Amino acid sequence: MLEEIGFVDVQIGAPCDTFGGASGEKQARRFDVYGYPFLARKPG
Amino acid sequence: MGTDLPVDPAMLREEVKSKYRDVAANPHGEHHFHTGRPLAERLGYDTAMVDAMPDVAVESFAGVASPFRLHALREGEKVVDAGSGAGFDCFIAARQVGPSGRVVGIDMLAEMLDKSRASAALMGLAHVEFREGLLEDMPVEDGWADVVISNGVINLCADKKRVFQEIRRVLRPGGRLQFADIANGKAVPASAVRNIDLWTA
Repeated sequence: MLEEIGFVDVQIGAPCDTFGGASGEKQARRFDVYGYPFLARKPG
Repeated sequence: MGTDLPVDPAMLREEVKSKYRDVAANPHGEHHFHTGRPLAERLGYDTAMVDAMPDVAVESFAGVASPFRLHALREGEKVVDAGSGAGFDCFIAARQVGPSGRVVGIDMLAEMLDKSRASAALMGLAHVEFREGLLEDMPVEDGWADVVISNGVINLCADKKRVFQEIRRVLRPGGRLQFADIANGKAVPASAVRNIDLWTA
C-alpha cells in the first residue's frame, strides 16, 4: 500500500514481541501478531 | 462508509476513543497490552531518555514498537506524530530534534491532549505542541513536515489508504515516514475483520 500511494525506499525492521506477557498475548499468538518499525520516503 | 472498508470508520473511532480514554485515565489498569515504562523498555527505547521523563509523560504510553528504530531524527527537523496519545513519542522526538526543531502531535481524544499538553509544560518543551484532529484529515499544512512518526495507531483506522495519503500530503518532498505498527503473520478470517469489537481487543 505504501508504494501504491507513492512512497519509496520502504523498509521493515525486526519484529517486537509487543504482547508477550500481556493479557492480549493469546490472541496475538493466534494470528502471529508482532510490532514492527517501518521506514519510507516521499520522493524528492 | 466506503464499500471497500471492513468497518464503519466513525463507529470504529468511537470504540477506539472509549478504549484509549481508559488508558489516559487508568494507565495501570487492566489492558490487553503493556503500558508505560515496562513497555518502553520492552520495545527498546533509550533507557536514559525514558528515565529522565516524569511518570505522567510515560505512564499512558501504549505503542507497539519504536518509530525511531530504523532512523533517528536529526537536529532541527520538523516532526508530526500521527496519533500522539499522551505524547510519549513526541517527547522522545523533541529531545532528538532539539529546540531548533518542531514537534506537532495530532490526536482526536481530549483526555490524551490534556495529558500531553500538561506533560510538555512540565518538561518545559516549548517546541512541542498538540493539535486535535483525525489522521484522515490532519491540521497540518501541505509539505510542512520533514518526518511523520506514528506508533500503533494506523492499525486502528478503517481507511488506511486515506491515512497514508494524508501523511504523504503533510510531508515535504524527500521527507520520511517512520512508523511502528502491528502486523499479523497468519490470516485473520473475514468475519473477524468485520467485527468492530475485535479491532481494539
